[in-house]
Amino acid sequence: MTMELKDIQFIADLVLLRAKKQCQYVDFRFEEIESEGLSIDTGTLAPIDESTSVGYCVRVLKNGAWGFAASCVMDLGEYERVVDTAIAIAEASKLVAPAPVTLAPVESYFDSYATQVKIDPFNISLAEKQDLLRSWEALFAKYPDLNSSSGFLDFRKIYKYFKSSEGSEIDQTLRHCGAGVSCGIVKSRRERFERSFPSSSGQYVSGGYEAIATFGIEDNIERLATEAVAMQTAKPCPTGEMTIILSPDMASLQIHESIGHPLELDRVFGAERNFSGVSFATPDKLDKLQYASEIVNVYSDPSFPGGLATYGYDDEGVKAARMPLIEQGKLVGYLSSRETAARLGRPSTGAARADGWSNVPICRITNLILEPGSKSFAEMVSEVENGIYLETVASWSIDDNRENFQMGTEIGWEIKNGKLGDMVNAPSYSGSTVEFWNSCSSVGSRDEWVLWGTPNCGKGQPGQNARTAQGAAYLRFEKVKVG
Amino acid sequence: MLERDQIIEVLKTGFAKSNADQTELLLTGEDFSLTRFSESQIRDNLSRSEYTIYARAIKDKQIGIATTTGLTEESVAKVVDQACKIAKLAEPDPKFVSLPKMEGELKPETTSYPQTADCTPKRRAEGVKTVADAGRDEKLEASGAFETTTDYVAVVNSLGMERFWNGTAAQLSLTISGETGESGWALGYNRNIDDMNIPLLAGTAVDKAVHSRNPVSIESGQYTVILEPAAVGQLLLFLSFMGFGCKTFLQHRSFMVGKIGAQIAGENITIIEDAFNPELRGQPFDYEGVLRQRVPLIEKGIAKGVVYDSYYANIMGAESTGHALPPDNQFGPYPKNLVMSPGESTLEEMVGSIERGVYITHFWYINYLNPMQTMVTGTTRDGTFLIENGKVSKPINNMRIAQSILEAFSNAPMLSKTRTLYPQYSVVMLVPAMKVEGFNLEQAEA
Repeated sequence: MTMELKDIQFIADLVLLRAKKQCQYVDFRFEEIESEGLSIDTGTLAPIDESTSVGYCVRVLKNGAWGFAASCVMDLGEYERVVDTAIAIAEASKLVAPAPVTLAPVESYFDSYATQVKIDPFNISLAEKQDLLRSWEALFAKYPDLNSSSGFLDFRKIYKYFKSSEGSEIDQTLRHCGAGVSCGIVKSRRERFERSFPSSSGQYVSGGYEAIATFGIEDNIERLATEAVAMQTAKPCPTGEMTIILSPDMASLQIHESIGHPLELDRVFGAERNFSGVSFATPDKLDKLQYASEIVNVYSDPSFPGGLATYGYDDEGVKAARMPLIEQGKLVGYLSSRETAARLGRPSTGAARADGWSNVPICRITNLILEPGSKSFAEMVSEVENGIYLETVASWSIDDNRENFQMGTEIGWEIKNGKLGDMVNAPSYSGSTVEFWNSCSSVGSRDEWVLWGTPNCGKGQPGQNARTAQGAAYLRFEKVKVG
Repeated sequence: MLERDQIIEVLKTGFAKSNADQTELLLTGEDFSLTRFSESQIRDNLSRSEYTIYARAIKDKQIGIATTTGLTEESVAKVVDQACKIAKLAEPDPKFVSLPKMEGELKPETTSYPQTADCTPKRRAEGVKTVADAGRDEKLEASGAFETTTDYVAVVNSLGMERFWNGTAAQLSLTISGETGESGWALGYNRNIDDMNIPLLAGTAVDKAVHSRNPVSIESGQYTVILEPAAVGQLLLFLSFMGFGCKTFLQHRSFMVGKIGAQIAGENITIIEDAFNPELRGQPFDYEGVLRQRVPLIEKGIAKGVVYDSYYANIMGAESTGHALPPDNQFGPYPKNLVMSPGESTLEEMVGSIERGVYITHFWYINYLNPMQTMVTGTTRDGTFLIENGKVSKPINNMRIAQSILEAFSNAPMLSKTRTLYPQYSVVMLVPAMKVEGFNLEQAEA
């Protein structure tokens, strides 16, 4: 830590004292984010990157309108300038703010929260981490047909201090770990195939260095390389309407794009209309819309251990808790902030997060948990007469109403008469969100369930990059358009 | 507001703390303000000062990089020390030769306007009010973002490099929409906020929204389309991601591989990376301090080359073109100022030349399908219209595209003579509208 807690508290008190006189609500947030990234690319270790970002922000509500200012400059004059700027901005906001902002009530907390870790990644030597990357690369090197191979390790420690004029004072230390590998093979100037593990963006979790070993990277490199080589001669993906089974990482993306984003309540109210779009899942459909088939149950739970969006409190001081979103397929909740929740007359679901000290909290995907079902992957496959199994995200696109989507995967296998058949390359499928989720005919079991971390979810103006998680096992859907 | 001398002096204190063979300090930063609105109401409204210092230390070809947001001499000393320690642990990189030396002089050019730098939240709010009022009679709502920024870049290295630049920009993007799904979009980008015509932008978006009421569906197929400049820019940006940087070229991930000197687009397509274009006036040097070169990427449809930083220039036996990104990036060199040559037509002439086709305002969620074939997907958005008998006739529902960008740029018989600045993902493009034949559009299920 570059600053001691007592110094941060001093700034917080100064800020709150100065702003409270003029504003109905004030919060102060300090963040220090330490990051470390190592990577290897086709045998060459990239320069190690270590970064530290330290700064603070002040958010005020004055006469029902928001103001926000942030800075990385630490001195007394700057603290005062930042407060005054936030207030001046709130006064300007009021010029075009016919409906005053109200906030859903929240309890006041005086608390500390920390990710539980066994091994602090920042205590592991860089040399040991480099050796791990080299060991993965050595396994890829056994396959001379590959044109490229790569691996990465990514560690982050986030310290947050939050204090509000409503009496909350919370500090949190969150720790994230990520790792992954991929390899590529060039068939021709027009065709190149990639295979990645654990997913195309690796795997990310909240936790310590011990988590990396649980990803199983070393055990899957031979399979990846073999598949990449085989993809050169694999047949093209068949086209038509058929049954599909999604791998857990692909299911994670499907949940993220077509359940997570549509249920962000700020988007539902139109906050993203000019950028990442709106949502078909409007409040008039709450408690009515059969969003998915009855076997689908989804909830938000930032208190769920180990997820990349696991935290004690969101950036408005709302305590993390399990909140249902889809129950037996029916839409029953949203991912909300205090402001958006108040518009529905509901409590906040604790989903307001900023991607650092320089941004305002907005409604974000948290840990989205799709409750496991009962079937194993093998059982699911055995029930399919004609279909395709799709694995590892390659491409995705969804319209600005979060309905029409097209997804591509790195690889697939035909399913014929209950058995996995030939490998196919460049598979893709498309659909419309509600129709697609209502065609979900099987949800995989807890034994094959994984909480996938997504380190790069973009949203907002200015753009913010959130860390989210989606928990899923294998999912099966019927009558899906493939190709 | 950061001052040149103050920043350069603080950065240079880092050299004394370095035991590396070569040391580089880079500052990037912004004084940024943004007013975001939706439902015709200001929602988020912010101002921030955010600066990052990157230290790069090289000892015996071992490279270490560290970054900090602290601007004090103490922070600089610490980050340099950290970079030196990391360098000791790195494997020597035999491909690294040297940091660049200071070569060439910057032309004194104004890219920073006090009107933009000092824009108040009140002025932004008044702009938002103009936008919000524009559609009120039609019962339309406004949403968007009005931002002003001053960007800073300063580079020093132990070989004598010393560069500083700051530039302002104002950007207003807005969507006008109604209860029945109609919507229209417009975007303005200028270095000088006084040059931004907010009533015109608002009026354009209102007009599009009004005319997009009660859309019809059309069948999937190949259409002759008119792409407004923003739509062209979105395709150009992805084309750039997929092939104009040297790293992707070397890794055989670029569609340019094996094509240099070959015809890859129509003869009327010329794409130049040009930070000094008088309309664009981009950051004049890269994040290593090397002056940006004017780099033809595609000239009269022929693939000409890619951009380099000093590291990849050495590997390729070429000179750096001045396109390094900050040293912690994984992407290698990339263009940031893309200029597409104009055509000779007016937009009206282009529309008038089409018997049956589709008019596209812009796209949403473009993503790769096959980068080597420059295939992308995405959907149209905020103003998609049918063209019949040379006129925009009626609104249509948004369509999904599945299109090779180079194929589109090979079948573009008309380009507009006027061009528009279009910024996205820190790249600014100067692009015309384009008529494309045989553009693949699919009905979007919903």
